[in-house]
Amino acid sequence: MALDSVESFFDEVFSFDIGGEKVEKEFSFMPVGEAVDMGFASDGTPLFDPRIFDSGEFSRNPYPYYKILRDHYPVYHDQLHNCYFVTRYEDITECYFDEIGFNTIPKGSSTGVLGNTQLELSGIEHRRRRNIYGRHLVGAALTKRIHALQDLAVELIEEWWAMDSPKGVEVNKTTKTVTIELGQAFANAFPISVVAQVLGIPQEARQQFTWWYDAMMSGLAGSDTHHEGLEARQDLEQYVEELVESRRKSPTYLTDKDGNEICLDIISELCNSEIDGSVMSTEEITSFIALVVGGGGETTRGAIMNLWYLLLQNPEQFSEIQKNEELWDVAFHEMLRHSTSIGGQPRHNTYDITMHGVRVPAGSLMHMVDVSANHDERIFKDPEVFNIFRPDLYSGKILRSGHNKEGKCSHMAFGVGPHLCPGAWISHQETVVGSQVLNQTFKNVRINTDRMPKDIDGVSLAPIGLRSIRELWLDFDLPE
Amino acid sequence: MVNPNTAYEHEEDLTSGPGYRTYEVYQRERVGETTNLIKPRQLISDSFFDDPFPLLEILRENYPCYRDWLSNRFWITRYDDVTSVFADDQNFETRPKCWFYDAVGYGRDLWEHLPVQWAFEKKIDNHIEEVTLEAMSFFQEGNTDLSKDFAARIPMALWGKVLNLSTEKLASFSKMFWAMQCGTNWNPELRESGRRAMEMLTAFLSPIFSERQKFPEDDMISAIAQLELPDAPPTVEDLVVTLLERDYQTLHGGLSNLWFNLLSEPDQMAKVKEDNRLMKFAWLETLRHSPPVLSADRFAKQEVERFGRLIPKGGLLHCSSAAANRDPRYFHDPESFIVGRSDLCQREPRGQYRADGLPSGIAFGLGKPSIHPAVPKERPRSLYALIRDTAVTASLVLLDSTDTLIISRGEIPVISCRQLGEMRTCWQLPVTR
Repeated sequence: MALDSVESFFDEVFSFDIGGEKVEKEFSFMPVGEAVDMGFASDGTPLFDPRIFDSGEFSRNPYPYYKILRDHYPVYHDQLHNCYFVTRYEDITECYFDEIGFNTIPKGSSTGVLGNTQLELSGIEHRRRRNIYGRHLVGAALTKRIHALQDLAVELIEEWWAMDSPKGVEVNKTTKTVTIELGQAFANAFPISVVAQVLGIPQEARQQFTWWYDAMMSGLAGSDTHHEGLEARQDLEQYVEELVESRRKSPTYLTDKDGNEICLDIISELCNSEIDGSVMSTEEITSFIALVVGGGGETTRGAIMNLWYLLLQNPEQFSEIQKNEELWDVAFHEMLRHSTSIGGQPRHNTYDITMHGVRVPAGSLMHMVDVSANHDERIFKDPEVFNIFRPDLYSGKILRSGHNKEGKCSHMAFGVGPHLCPGAWISHQETVVGSQVLNQTFKNVRINTDRMPKDIDGVSLAPIGLRSIRELWLDFDLPE
Repeated sequence: MVNPNTAYEHEEDLTSGPGYRTYEVYQRERVGETTNLIKPRQLISDSFFDDPFPLLEILRENYPCYRDWLSNRFWITRYDDVTSVFADDQNFETRPKCWFYDAVGYGRDLWEHLPVQWAFEKKIDNHIEEVTLEAMSFFQEGNTDLSKDFAARIPMALWGKVLNLSTEKLASFSKMFWAMQCGTNWNPELRESGRRAMEMLTAFLSPIFSERQKFPEDDMISAIAQLELPDAPPTVEDLVVTLLERDYQTLHGGLSNLWFNLLSEPDQMAKVKEDNRLMKFAWLETLRHSPPVLSADRFAKQEVERFGRLIPKGGLLHCSSAAANRDPRYFHDPESFIVGRSDLCQREPRGQYRADGLPSGIAFGLGKPSIHPAVPKERPRSLYALIRDTAVTASLVLLDSTDTLIISRGEIPVISCRQLGEMRTCWQLPVTR
């Protein structure tokens, strides 16, 4: 009768409901800031279920989950997705500066659509290429073109008042109110127009360019529309090939407001640049363009949308900005700290390492979670609060070295170190200049809450979550 | 306007350093090479685990080395490819189960020492018939569940013999052992209970281990305790890790699937009844047709170019035995369960999972075939052979003891996976005698 006492064991093993929980799991939506209960270890440590990363709950309410990771699993081994997450500000900073230990070799999911880009290069190769176009996106070349940004913004707004405006602007003459959806009316088109201009894409091709851009962006990361993304990339490449042929012979220039040439546009510059003694191939140039387009379009659109969404939900801060225009800069940085639309960057560790007691074998995918760093309470007090006056956020000149002194830290939305976002400055300028132009048009602006997506309670406005908001409905007084 | 204090300046790079060059690898997919017939999310969906074969066929026939961005791995699905990875220890490594617990260094896996294997083999060979008869003595009159009362019991009872544990101790051991094995998984709750079970098992085995260090018996614990190792004497942690690294509980899955196949295919059952020797071929065909472990992971030890791709160092190759075992390049009518099929190797395969020029079913977790061209006398049988013989012996005892055995009326048993990462087996097999 030897097996009799094993009975309880078998009952337990087989009591598992065979039709029960499997891999797919619906996580219930929680109030913003609260994590769903994923169980606890015997010592009280909260457990972390990696399926949460694929859930709707996580993308709308990510921060309490990142807090669990920061507090309990600063290097989290996700065995379902075969990767590691690094979530504390200081760890991420250290990894970003260690370009050799945490490499960028092309295993990233963006390579499919964008091609080999700056994101995947390191060391000398990265610096040489980056220096070619980097100077277009910063410094005097950029400052001199502020007028062009303003002109573009004004042009877009003027279209609002045209008959049959394609921008979906609704004018109610009785109540003297204008209703717009900020994305459709402005933010979707503005950044991509700026990018097309800086690159030197001819005016007539800009609409097509916007379409390619949309397809490429939605085709990233092996998503369902990956195929369309690749097709768009191929079309873009064909188009760029012709453009490159002509620009190699006759380069074109960007001009200041008096029509003086400031410098070559980026495509012309790339056509006439040499790396290691040879000119760049069309393929290389297309990858550059794809990256600039990807980096300069969607992210800045999100920045404009999120900035207005947050400011209008914090009217006392918004009214301070009305009194002091310089606060737009500060608000921009606080918005990026609070709700940036790029979650983080992938790295692969070159060597076997042990971080926070977790052994990470060489070649593992390690996600540097920038949005978590921005909400690290070790750095930013009350990180969930949007406060443009917070004393612990550095909002001065954007530095590759980052800023961490005298109680002020820079946010991580642009990263730090060699791969600091090269579009940081132009994105800053676009968002601030665009918002200032908008602000001149908006009188008594407020969110049209009836039309906005709601949170789970059906009443309050939906949180921004991991990405930028998709739509922002605004009402303002009809200009005289 | 924009604050002049935040002027935009072109910063010189701060990272001038040694001339570190990245290597530039170009393997961007072109339009004609996209993998749009499959979405990575489907590969971790419930429907995939209910029936993985349709999706695996898409992969095998269209994308033999599929880059799965969601789960960050390459799926290898053709027979040749899977066996080539499996046989290539130079380029690919298996990560120990301890790694999944982030507990590398907890103890040493001492399986490679022959006295340990001898003890294991001897106990199993000596006790398999007795253990099977014992399990069958619990069968209910009339109806019984072969999965629970037969397939699941035998491996656990064998552990009792191998480790020489009393009945009460075996019950506790089974619980901890099972939890520990189940925890090598992505699931945080299973992982947590597995980690706890590992510590409890260490505490549980510690007095037994010390006792047998002083007064050895003929079991595997004594064999480990008596090992003379060059670096440090064996510890109870080594014993636990050695147990953890064994995949023995999949014998349960194999046995259950074997009987599921036989009971669902009366023609095949008739063949086996007519000639008992065919039970071995039924087992081998089960390993091919319905292996309990669907896949095994290998990690690239260095960057290596294979399958038309550059596999980066550390890259995970997810080798699907389920897909490879139904590769029509090797197996005619691969979906059918055919005992004694002529295109399946009928003896222990070598090296790349083949013998006599024929492929065998790839069954991860049921013992690695021998790497020796012939089994040397001074070595015990390979785990592959030992487990095969065990399963066949137990099944023959069952077959001989009953005239008729049929699936209970109204029941429709299935082979399924209860959790991603768990074995795929027939968890309930109600039969009537």
